[in-house]
Parts: sequence; structure tokens; C-alpha cells
Amino acid sequence: MNLEKVVFSFFIILALTVNFGFFLGDIDNPDHHDIIELFLAIVVNLIATGLKLGDRSQIGAVLLATSLVACLQLIAAAITWAIAVHVMEIGLTPTIMASIVSLSGGALVANIISVAMVVTETLMLRR
Amino acid sequence: MGAGGAAAGKPPKSSRVSYIVLRYMRRPIMCLIVVYAVSMAGWILIPGVDEQGNEVTLSFFHAFYFLTYTVTTTGFGELPSTFTEAQRMWGIVSLYVGVIAWFYALGSIVGLVQNEDFRQSLDERRFAKSVARIKESFCIVCGFGNTGALLTRGLSDAGITVIVVDVRPERIRTVMLRDYRAPVAGLCADARIPEHLIEAGLLKANCKAVVALTQDEDVNLKISVTASLLNPGIGVITQSTSQAHEDTLATLGENVHIIDPFQTYAKYLGATIANPAVHTLNQWLAGTPGATLGQSMQPPKGSWILCGYGRMGHWLRESLEAQGISTVVIEPEPRPEDVGVPNMIVGRANQETLLQAGIEQAAGIVAGTNNDSDNLSILLNARVLNPELFFVVRQNRYRNQVVFQAADVDLIMMPSLVSARRILFILIAPLMKSFFETLRERDESRGDGFLGETVAMLEARVGGSQPRVWTVDLGAAESGAVVRLVEEGRRVTLGDLLRDPGDRSQRLDCVPLVLNSDGRMRVLPEPATPVRPGDQILFCGSPRAARLLDASMNNEYTLAYLMTGLDEPRGYAMKWLHRKLAPAQLPERS
Repeated sequence: MNLEKVVFSFFIILALTVNFGFFLGDIDNPDHHDIIELFLAIVVNLIATGLKLGDRSQIGAVLLATSLVACLQLIAAAITWAIAVHVMEIGLTPTIMASIVSLSGGALVANIISVAMVVTETLMLRR
Repeated sequence: MGAGGAAAGKPPKSSRVSYIVLRYMRRPIMCLIVVYAVSMAGWILIPGVDEQGNEVTLSFFHAFYFLTYTVTTTGFGELPSTFTEAQRMWGIVSLYVGVIAWFYALGSIVGLVQNEDFRQSLDERRFAKSVARIKESFCIVCGFGNTGALLTRGLSDAGITVIVVDVRPERIRTVMLRDYRAPVAGLCADARIPEHLIEAGLLKANCKAVVALTQDEDVNLKISVTASLLNPGIGVITQSTSQAHEDTLATLGENVHIIDPFQTYAKYLGATIANPAVHTLNQWLAGTPGATLGQSMQPPKGSWILCGYGRMGHWLRESLEAQGISTVVIEPEPRPEDVGVPNMIVGRANQETLLQAGIEQAAGIVAGTNNDSDNLSILLNARVLNPELFFVVRQNRYRNQVVFQAADVDLIMMPSLVSARRILFILIAPLMKSFFETLRERDESRGDGFLGETVAMLEARVGGSQPRVWTVDLGAAESGAVVRLVEEGRRVTLGDLLRDPGDRSQRLDCVPLVLNSDGRMRVLPEPATPVRPGDQILFCGSPRAARLLDASMNNEYTLAYLMTGLDEPRGYAMKWLHRKLAPAQLPERS
């Protein structure tokens, strides 16, 4: 057992699960998507990205890239939310909600790739 | 003296093709242009009549259109309106003249395609393009005889691109017909002419070596001199049997290797007779199909009969006597300086001379003349007299392979194969030479069975047939992790590299044969030997071991795990945490 592996896998998988929780529900219904979940998803994803900084292996580089993609997508979703509610003051219309959720859907795909790579790398070690 | 200087004076190869086309087609093209111009002028000048009866002439466009479909014998009719009689007269003239002009042009094209010069320059251009396309390192092999063909096969099996230069067109055709693993291109040209070597890529930076294997030793000398003068950094390997040539070649510097095929063969044969494990090991390392280390032969003790006392026989006798093996030679036509040599029987090797040579008490016989049918008949005669003999037979021609296989002898040895293998090892595994030299020296000087032990060790560690033999250059891009860890001040040993990443208590099926550290050769280095950037290591092992070793040397985390058994922290955050927690929690990790 390896402490780094535990911490690392924990955050990577948590990033995926929280992201999935936010994504789940009707795409244009604001009642199904909680802003706290989006906030948590962003925080966990940022931590997961931070843990990957400094890894000089090839797989580390790809993992960092996928994490950055996920963060970018989630932050874009948050910005959309903020602009719609506070700047344009049109509220969470179905169109706005749909675009926020689909952005988080993109982040979900990136997180799935991350988890798949971590699992594959661990299996490849055969020890 | 560079590429520019050499290319000056003659048009470059690529423009020669278009030059020949232009020169050949100039007249037919001029003829066509004139015929078209005159016909079109006629069509524009001769008046016609349209449907309403108005006088019109054909436009340039219609004139050209009409000519296009008539002189090419398509013929759509009279367009755009029915012709007058005058126009029809001109139509007849322009049709016949035009068709004749086209036939002339087509005939010239056919002639051009059949033209020898044109074909040759097309071939040359194709060859130049294939040489220009080569991005990886390659070797130039001059002379595609027995040795050349075997060497080309070996190099391509090792994944090295080969350019073959031979003066005989049928041999170049053979090169093109064979199926090679790596790209092989053939140039039919006289390698004595420097320009042809340049065409073959001599001046390119990725040209690794030039091998001169033609039958004429003067040609080989010329090729070696040309190659080492034009590209001083290049490796040159050449066959030579004469002392005068060797003296000249020796002045060319350390990049030139001289292979005396007779001496190489005799030394190898002598070593094999003294200890067949040499042959077993050589066959196995060279990846001969079906060769395994388990096949050991017992060297018979006693005197040997050598049939054939030419250049090779000389070397062979010397080599055997040096190892304390007594020999009797049989030679039909001894050279004047050999007359009166002890234990020599003059005559053809038939039953009478064989009996005279004491075949009934002999341990073995070498049928070593330069004639395959003589060798086979010696074999048959000797077998009648003493079937218990150890038979060694020299096979000169590759095409007689089937007969020799059927003869069921103890050892078939082809001089060209021995030479080709030696050259192959120089090219793809330069450290192999010191491996074999050390083995032979230690075995001869101490006689403690070191060679046998080594063979047994390789059998146990690697085993199987057709092992991979490869050289690792530490410091090149291929082993970045080792360089980085050493630069961080850590001690990486050979044993660390050889651990199995799946289970670090196990060793990979892989043996380091030679470690070259700043020119200091260590044969079969101990696992505790530290490695440093710039070292070269010759490995022999299974394909799986080669793959895993390559991966470990590229991934510093895997390598660090192999060294310490711990997965070291990778990210900045975990490194910081690791330092904070250390050393209190460190020992608990497994």
C-alpha cells in the first residue's frame, strides 16, 4: 500500500463522482442541479489537478491534461451560471441550464478518462 | 571535398530524365505544333456557310475543336454547321497530315520508353529518391555475393536499412526480388567510381558504414579508400587476404576493419574443433533458426586430417597446432613454398591417401577444399573407411545447402557465413568482439571451463532459441531515466536495471554480456557494477526482457522503484508531504 496512491486515487474518483452527481437529472431543469455540487466538483477537480503537478512520467502528463480539461469545463459552467443570474439577470432559463449541464457533461468525460487511466496504470504494474 | 564539389560538372540525376525527354520529344512536338498551326489557319481562312446561307468562317475555338476530334480519329461529324466542298478538301488534308504527325509523336514516345539511357536514368532517379527518403541509419554493402547476401539478410533482420551496390544487373534484380524485413535498395553500378558511392548515400549523415565485399581485392581497397577519404567518420569494413592491401588499409585509421575471410574462418573452425561450445554460442547469439544452447557436441581428442592446404588450410593448421592438436594434410597441388612440410601427403583425397594419412586412427576430418563436390566426395570416401570420425565439411556455395544438409555431417561450416556473421556483429553489436575474445582467452589460458559455464549460465537465464542481442547507449534519448537519476547523485547498478518491474525480487531473462565504460570493457559484469551516463551495454535476452528493460530505463519512477522497492512520491504536493512526514512514517512503507 502506498499513501500517495490512496490520496491520489481518492481525489480522482471523488472528482468523477461529484461531477456525475451534478450532471445527473433533466438537462434543462434547474431543480435537478445544485450549485453546491458544482462548487464541490470544481474544488475537488482543482485539488486533483494540483496533486498531479510535478509528475515527470508520460502518464502523469496525460493525467494532468485531462484534469485541466475537466477544470476548464466546470469553471466555464460556473461562469455561465454567474453571468446568467447576476450580470444578464435572466435567471436559469432552460437554455442556460442546458448549456451549464452540458459543459459539466464534458468535464465528466474527462474525469472518466482520468479514472480509466489510473486504473489501467495500476493494473499494468502487476504487483 | 564535399557534396557540392562532387556533384559539379554533371547535371544532377533528377534533371537528367527531363533532359532526355525534352531532347527526344523536341522534334515530334515541333512537328505537331506546326501541323496544328497550319491546319487551324486553313480552317479560319476558308469560308463556310451556315443554315441561313450566310457566309461564316470557323472561329479559332471551333477550328481547334474540329482538329481535336478528327486527327485523333474520333470524328463527330461536321460541326457547328455542314461544310462546304472547299472546307471538306481542307478537312481531308488536315486529317491525313494530322494523323501522320500524331503517329510520329506516339512512335517517338514508344521509342523513348524503350531507350536504354532513359530507362537507366529512370532507375537512377528512383534509386536516388529511395536513398533520399531514408531517415534512419543505414549501411552500404558493395558486392552481393555469398557473404554480401547473407550480411544483407542479417542486417535487415536486425532492422537496419541496407543499400546494395553491385556491378552485375542480375544480382541487383535478385536484391529487388527478395523479401526483406527492413528496406533494401539496390544500385547496379561500379562501386570503384566514387560518384556511385555518393549516389548510394555515402555522404549522408545517417550512413553508418560501408562494407566492401566484392570478389576483387583491388576493388575492395579502392572502395575503402574512397569511403574513408570522403566521409572520415564512417565505419569501413573490408575483406582482404593480401598483406600488401592490409598494410594500406591499416593506414586509413581505426574506423577501418579488415576481415580476412580465410583467417576468420580458420580461426573459428580451429576454436570450434577445440571447443564446440564456441560454435554453439555463436550460432545461438546470431539467431540461427533452431539453434539452442542445449545442443552440445563432444570434441574428439586425437589427430585430425585436413583435406585442402590452401590459404585457409594454412591458417587452420596453425590454429589447431597452437592448441596442441596434431594434423595431417592432404593436398593435390601444394604451393611451391609448402613442398616438404611435415605430415603432408601430396595427392587427391581418395581412399588410398586417406588410409596413408592414418584415417583409421584419426579423431576427425575437415573436408576443406574450395570445391563443394570435392568436399562431398572426400566425405563419402572417409565415411567408408572410418564411420566413427567427427566430420567437418566446408560448404562454399549457398545453393548447395540441400545436399550438405542431406549428407548428415557433424558440422557444416560456410566461410561466407562466418565472415558475414563477424561483420554483422561488428555493425550491430560492436562489443561482441571483446565478449568472444575474453571467453576464448580465458578458456585457453586457464582451461577451467569458463566457456562452458557461460553457456550454461546463458542457457539457464535466457534459454530458448533466437535470443535478442542489443546494445544500450546510456545517455542517449533511449535511457533518459537512468541519466536523470545518476545526475541527481544516485547510484544505479546493473542489477537494478535487470530487476523485473512486475516483481523486483526476480531478474529479467536477460544477461549483460559486455559493459563498455569509457573504453574499459567488462565482460559479464557483476550486478553490483554501477552504470554511468555514456556507458554502453551489450545485452542478450528474451524479447520480453528487452521491452521491459527499455521501459524501466525510460521511466524514472519505475527505475526508482526497482532500486529501492518504494514507490516514490511524484507530484510536488506529495513530495512536500513526504518530506514533512519523513522520517517518522517512512519505515512503515513497504
